[in-house]
Amino acid sequence: MVERLRTRLRSLAANLAETGRKLWQDSLAEYLLHEKDPGAALIYLKYWGLNYSRIVLFGVEAPFRLGPAGVVRMLVHNPWIFTLLKVNRLMRRYGRGRTGPYLESVCLALNSVVRGNVDMLRQMFYRPERMVISEDLVPIDIVHAMGLDAYLIEGIGIMLPILDSEACLQYIDEAENEGMNPDACSLPKTTVGMVIRDHLPKGVAIVSSNLPCDAGAASYSFIERAYGLPTYRLDVPYNFHSERAENLFTEDVKGMIAWLEEHTPGRMDWDRFREICVNRNRILELELELWDMLRVRPAPLASEAVWLSHLWNVNVTPDCRESVSHFQKIVSLARKNLEDGLPATQNERYRTLVWNPPFLHFTHIFNWAERTYGLTLLNDSMTYHHHRPIDTSTPDTMLRGWGRVVMQGPMVRHTRGPAENYLDDIFRMVKQFDLDMVWVANHVGCKGGQAMNGILREKCREKGIPLLILDYDLSDPRIVSHDNMKRQVEHFMDNVMKAPRLDG
Amino acid sequence: MPPHTHTIRVFEELLESPRNRLVEQAAEAGRIPIGYSCSYVPEALLMADRLFPVRLHAHGIAGTELADNYLSSLVCSYTRSLLEFALDDRYDHVKGWVFVPSCAHMQRLVDNLHYLRKPAFSHVLDVPRKVSRATLDWLEEELRMLSDRLSSHFGVDMTDASLTQAIGEWNRFTQAVRAIGDLRKRPDPPLTGAQYHAMVMACLASPKDLVLPYVEKLRKELQVRDGARGTRARLMVVGGHLHDPGFISIIESQGALVVADRFCTGSLPGLTPVRVDGDPIRALAVHSFEKTLCPRMMEDFDRRLGFIRDTVREYRVDGVVLETIKFCDLWGVDSMTLVNALRAEGIPVLKLEREYRTSGEGQLRTRVQAFIESMGA
Repeated sequence: MVERLRTRLRSLAANLAETGRKLWQDSLAEYLLHEKDPGAALIYLKYWGLNYSRIVLFGVEAPFRLGPAGVVRMLVHNPWIFTLLKVNRLMRRYGRGRTGPYLESVCLALNSVVRGNVDMLRQMFYRPERMVISEDLVPIDIVHAMGLDAYLIEGIGIMLPILDSEACLQYIDEAENEGMNPDACSLPKTTVGMVIRDHLPKGVAIVSSNLPCDAGAASYSFIERAYGLPTYRLDVPYNFHSERAENLFTEDVKGMIAWLEEHTPGRMDWDRFREICVNRNRILELELELWDMLRVRPAPLASEAVWLSHLWNVNVTPDCRESVSHFQKIVSLARKNLEDGLPATQNERYRTLVWNPPFLHFTHIFNWAERTYGLTLLNDSMTYHHHRPIDTSTPDTMLRGWGRVVMQGPMVRHTRGPAENYLDDIFRMVKQFDLDMVWVANHVGCKGGQAMNGILREKCREKGIPLLILDYDLSDPRIVSHDNMKRQVEHFMDNVMKAPRLDG
Repeated sequence: MPPHTHTIRVFEELLESPRNRLVEQAAEAGRIPIGYSCSYVPEALLMADRLFPVRLHAHGIAGTELADNYLSSLVCSYTRSLLEFALDDRYDHVKGWVFVPSCAHMQRLVDNLHYLRKPAFSHVLDVPRKVSRATLDWLEEELRMLSDRLSSHFGVDMTDASLTQAIGEWNRFTQAVRAIGDLRKRPDPPLTGAQYHAMVMACLASPKDLVLPYVEKLRKELQVRDGARGTRARLMVVGGHLHDPGFISIIESQGALVVADRFCTGSLPGLTPVRVDGDPIRALAVHSFEKTLCPRMMEDFDRRLGFIRDTVREYRVDGVVLETIKFCDLWGVDSMTLVNALRAEGIPVLKLEREYRTSGEGQLRTRVQAFIESMGA
């Protein structure tokens, strides 16, 4: 521990100038110094304050719940919590060049992430005897309906590189050092690394599944043994588009509920579950309304307002009323822009989707693309989660509907069944959002995606859709650097799109 | 080391091409070869009536340039090799393909094969990733659907009587192979691991009834043969697809003897008889889950570990060689846990990452040599 701290300090000293430059670039002072629009500065200041106030509130509350020693223990055992404090630096990166309702929508999305994270910390540490670890594609709705707390274990590995592009490196290295194959996806590697370092709270049980990929599913043998916790695994069939598959999965979900009642103090509360399903349905309606508005060219909102809103409010906190009100605000901001004829991106010239999860360690690449080429991100494969609303009439219909939401979720239906599940969504999005191109976030660890590139390339060529396959690693910027990623975009925009740069 | 015999050479010859002379002989007699690539496919089902199963291999593959264009070079080389051979018309004799979505790579092989060269008959057998009464029922239904499709497409008899007969044939075949496999428990096994594997692979890639006489012949030859003496270590090979007996030859060239094989195309526990007690399809579903120990099964780690541990004791194994094909996430991730668990039980383990085609011979020799020395042999 001491040696690690010493190494860290030496490394900080060596990079002092670079760190200082970055800190300045991402600071409030630098923003206020350069922002010419007072309205934008006010929005920025408001959310800067709101983000920190949520964090400070948790900082004040935690000693009362955990005791001062408990807080120290929490921070020592979970040092990644400090990364959460970097949230306003991310707002700086997202906010650059954006104004008005678009800036507000992006700040709002980030603020909802802060809210979600603070809530997650409460669930992780306040009631360990009622806490369940959940895999990221098993929504925590049922666990919550049972009166239990939960956190998505991969959620940490998703959030950290968004806030700090190098935050996962130590965990990735740890997992590889333990013997995990280096070519595996860096998300399960991060999770396994965190488990090895004992940087995550354990709780009383684990709920996992065969999703989304082999590496993710296989990592639970390790996690289960390392934590010594009972584990339930949901199994989504390969051919899930049938009543037969729905029956099997619904039975599996019922099995999970019975198992949780046996292994935890939780008891199923169907009324609470109904409320959660209603919440989900309302979010779905609002998102569809938002997507409808995004069809307009130029789009009234884009980028983080769409994908980050979905990533946190639908995947992490779908059962919170605040998630509904978040989407209500986003929809109203989009409507305001639409009515005022204000585009999200000034000079919107090109519209794209990004297939696969957004580039976690370089999510502000879209901000750069907007300012450099007038290129707007309208939607992505993680957000494009279209399904029927959940029928809330009986427990059975709710479980079936909820099961359908899981089975048809992003990275579930795209990694199951025939290639059409994958391709049809892409081309449907191109049509729905009137896109000019398709970007594939070609994560080096995602073998299922890599193996679709050949077909996708030929299909795009047939349809005359320009395709950028942007090589990178989901959480590890050492594999492909930010500069290299930008260069790939520049070459594509110059050579294929013949697009002039807006920045001169 | 026990020398090669004429029968062993026959097995090696049968492995030279997916379209070996026994496959041709059967096809000429009007029988129908069905290709499969995963151990969860119950071979006995594909032995009904005029059908016969052939395990798809790409022995002698030189490169995967065409397949890389579609599957990318970051997908396991077994999958790429199958696509390359398919695009090179090397499986034209195969009349039907039965797949299992065993892993992301195999799923995408199906997608790419259907896109590039859709077989006249192709079926994906949706094998669940955990075992329970519900998933057993599901698998039984899956097998019924496959059986119905085979019957209607090829006009073959898939009735219970026909399946029971096929299961009987499968059981006779596995008993013959296991009888030879059991000889490896002896302190001085009469055949090497490479020779045994050549026999098993040849059997998997050929019609069982036509290859069985050679298996019987080998068994008789082995009864009067001297066993291996002076081996430095008895090893067990564990892992996924391993088709080339040459890989085991290289391991054995360092003085070790491979006496047990827990990999997809090995005999432990893959070649076990089917217990029929009533419905043959139900029996095949149960058998499918029991005979395979793959990390794709989410709740099977302890069974897999226990099986390896028991085999180590039963076959008096000194060390385990864990071989995984590069880019295989299932074995790649699982091996981290498996290696630690085996070492914790005092079992020495050598983990080897390899390509489907045997390569890097020199490096492999050095690593095996070092492993044997580390065991004090």
